[in-house]
Amino acid sequence: MSIPREAYQTLQSIVGPEWVSDDPAICEADRYCSLSSPSDEQRRPGCSIEPASTEEVQAIVKVANRYKIPYVCTSTFYSAGTYARKDDSILIDLKRMNEIEIDEKNLYAIVGPGVAFSALQADLLKRGLITFVPGCGGNSSVLANTVNMGDAPIGWRYGLGYQRLLGVEWVLPDGEMLKMGSLSMSDDYFWGEGPGPDLRGLLRGCAGHQSRLGIVTKIGVKIFPFVSEELEPMGWAFHSFMKLPPNRFKWYNIRFYSREDAINAMFEIGRSEIGLVVMTVPPIFRSVARTRGVGCGGFWEAWKENGPKIKPNQEDLRVLLYGIGSDKRLEYEEKVLLDIVKDFGGSPREAPCRDETNFMAADAICANVVGGRFSSEVSYESINQAVRYSRVVNEITEKYKPRILEDYGTTNWVCPYELGYIAKMECLRMSSVENRDALDKWHDDVHKFCATGGGSTIFPEDEIFGPVWGNYPEKEAKIRALFDPNHVSAPQ
Amino acid sequence: MLKVEEYKHQAETCVRCSYCKFVDLNWVKSSRFSRQCPIDTRYRFNLYSAHGLLHSALAELSGKLEFTPKLMDALWHCTLCGGCDTKCKRNLDVEVLQVIETLRCRCVEQGKGPLPEHKMLADNVKSSHNIYGADPKERLNWLPPDIKPAKKADILYFVGDPMSYRWPELAQATAKILGKAGAKFMVLEDEWSSGHELFATGQLAPAKEMADHNTKAIKDSGAKTVITSDAECYKTLKVDYPKIMEKSTEDMPYTVLHITEYIDQLMQDGKFKFNRRVPMKVTYHDPCNLGRLAEPWYHWEPKYEPPNIAVGKTWRRGEKGVYEPPRNILKGIRGLELIEMERIWDNAWCCGYGGGVGTAFPDFALWTAGERIEEAITTGAEAIVSSCPHCKDILGRAADANNTGIKVYDITEVMLRAIR
Repeated sequence: MSIPREAYQTLQSIVGPEWVSDDPAICEADRYCSLSSPSDEQRRPGCSIEPASTEEVQAIVKVANRYKIPYVCTSTFYSAGTYARKDDSILIDLKRMNEIEIDEKNLYAIVGPGVAFSALQADLLKRGLITFVPGCGGNSSVLANTVNMGDAPIGWRYGLGYQRLLGVEWVLPDGEMLKMGSLSMSDDYFWGEGPGPDLRGLLRGCAGHQSRLGIVTKIGVKIFPFVSEELEPMGWAFHSFMKLPPNRFKWYNIRFYSREDAINAMFEIGRSEIGLVVMTVPPIFRSVARTRGVGCGGFWEAWKENGPKIKPNQEDLRVLLYGIGSDKRLEYEEKVLLDIVKDFGGSPREAPCRDETNFMAADAICANVVGGRFSSEVSYESINQAVRYSRVVNEITEKYKPRILEDYGTTNWVCPYELGYIAKMECLRMSSVENRDALDKWHDDVHKFCATGGGSTIFPEDEIFGPVWGNYPEKEAKIRALFDPNHVSAPQ
Repeated sequence: MLKVEEYKHQAETCVRCSYCKFVDLNWVKSSRFSRQCPIDTRYRFNLYSAHGLLHSALAELSGKLEFTPKLMDALWHCTLCGGCDTKCKRNLDVEVLQVIETLRCRCVEQGKGPLPEHKMLADNVKSSHNIYGADPKERLNWLPPDIKPAKKADILYFVGDPMSYRWPELAQATAKILGKAGAKFMVLEDEWSSGHELFATGQLAPAKEMADHNTKAIKDSGAKTVITSDAECYKTLKVDYPKIMEKSTEDMPYTVLHITEYIDQLMQDGKFKFNRRVPMKVTYHDPCNLGRLAEPWYHWEPKYEPPNIAVGKTWRRGEKGVYEPPRNILKGIRGLELIEMERIWDNAWCCGYGGGVGTAFPDFALWTAGERIEEAITTGAEAIVSSCPHCKDILGRAADANNTGIKVYDITEVMLRAIR
């Protein structure tokens, strides 16, 4: 079986023959998205197509509906779940839709799905503006990430990305256009609310859009004022960084000798409304970051020596102070931070004034070097919930060692947003490629806890979370049936 | 060419994160010049990227995929510039480039490749020991009467096919610079093609023949230092020869220096100075073969310990290329102002010629070069300087094709102008 000839020819007429292909090699290369282990669930698409405009996307989706061909979309390909689950699907690759418009006066940007964070960020930094870059890295799509969750270290001050979603241009599963927010009234992406019900929740569904309800082709996203100085890049690719202007930024690494003190200090930092980035730094995260340039062998050599010395109750915080608007503000933030640290018995150490992984790049992929495969479970809730979650995950991990590699109980990362109102707990575990199954079992156990223990996760399994979370799969199915009568939009 | 187990292991380690497609993210300075991979930027399908080719390598190895027309197209459009490889080594340490090279070799082994244009190179080399099929007796025709190489010297100037036959003025410039620097040098009377494009196009048998001949000729000459001003020759003698002989660069019977390394060292030692003003605003294009691909080769027999520790391996991550010497030279010329482009050093955008692409797909090579020219123009420079004859050629043609007015020079031409 393959895409019907007539349908394929219609697709060719929409985008031009250069931008659609059913060659097995083209389709095979689109089979597995990133961050997913190859499995039989991931099917080779019947064809791949690269539209250049919203009109072309609409036309493709209408063809898919007419011939009842399943479709799924992707963009920068650094995606976490958008792959064809049905044979002979149309893979709609949106990376040619990479337009960026920046409204400096009104502080928002309009982007297509093919725009990577690094591209937008670079254009913003030149203008003294900034957007968030998620922890997975600046090679991911601004649109896809914002529509889903959009967490990023600078979310400490600016909140989660999806809250910055403004006007939305959305091709529904049947090819009809829905414009949301101020865009529904005029050619204006300035705000996301109304008129009428705010449908952004529909986009996200339970835990992210994942291309299962049509295709978002353009969004407005909020941006923020930033320093006007250049963040000068330095170093070779494998351990590059950006120099930060020292009059406006200061990094502190702070060691606390009890986890409780560290967490309480974090709350206090939030209450004091200081900092651009505040997070815990599990020793293994720091070691993974230092793996760049020394490889897997270098990591394990260091980790085997240093890991056993880690005191289980010790916790390090990393804080980036930011003189918003002035040098004086930085001085103020530093005084407040050092007072808090003193109150909670921490040992502060100033770190080099540079950024490796918060404004452009990220360390997430680097974790693969250390093991061969990694799994990173995520829970969003409060800081206190993060601490509890961490404890349980550590207990679960013990069941699977040594196939899950030794972490000395320290691999849980607390990254709070909105000055500590909400927190992400990320639990990184690694294995060799051969022991991937141990990670899968660990993942299932963690999710079983997460479903009943509170916290929102990414990629929840319907059978685990559905019964606990108000039978959301049934509700989502009803919504999908309404919008997607032909069941062609990324069917599972 | 990687052995099968290692080939599979490397390809499997890719997680398709697409980092290979971008300039190192901390180095992205604009959306316009944020991309690293020419085939990805032009053709966009994931097959036209390192992770697409790595996945294809696995699929081909397991029998799920054949060398289809599109796989052939993507594989042979790749310029083997290595940008993907150095980006991957920020995060994953996959030997991306070696997998792509091995996929090419497998394609050739199975009789599906290389392309007819590449086969012709091998035919020419077989008949006349140069890629152009030119008369081997004319190899030294570039030598004007006023340049007289020594019969015997410690330094051997390896000229290479392009400068011997196509751009003799660059060979002459190189020889004159060496002369002005007081270097006594000889040339091989029976120099054969370096075999650069044969290596790149997976035609390893004739490439090995070139490597064996030239290595023996150099050894027999008694010279210890080989100087070249052709980046492709530089990389081939330094990397490809030891690689095919299963040795490390340091085990070769010679040391290779690019002319810029040699002159830069003399400058650092206070033994050479440019004495003529060259009032010009220039930008510098790092040739892939002199930059990220030019690191010494370290022979390694694959051996792993769990979870994924490559025992005894010395990594090549792109930082040991020749980046500073050409810049030092340009900065050492009075009146000359060097302005950098956005994508430099290990993030440099390829000129488009390499990997056999200039031979088989001249239009795509020209498009890739056009991208670089556009980037150069944004610096405000009046000229772009490189250290490789093919870079100069393709960039020059792209500059002319678009009527940009920007001039393109080989660094030897600029150096010669700066010597009285």
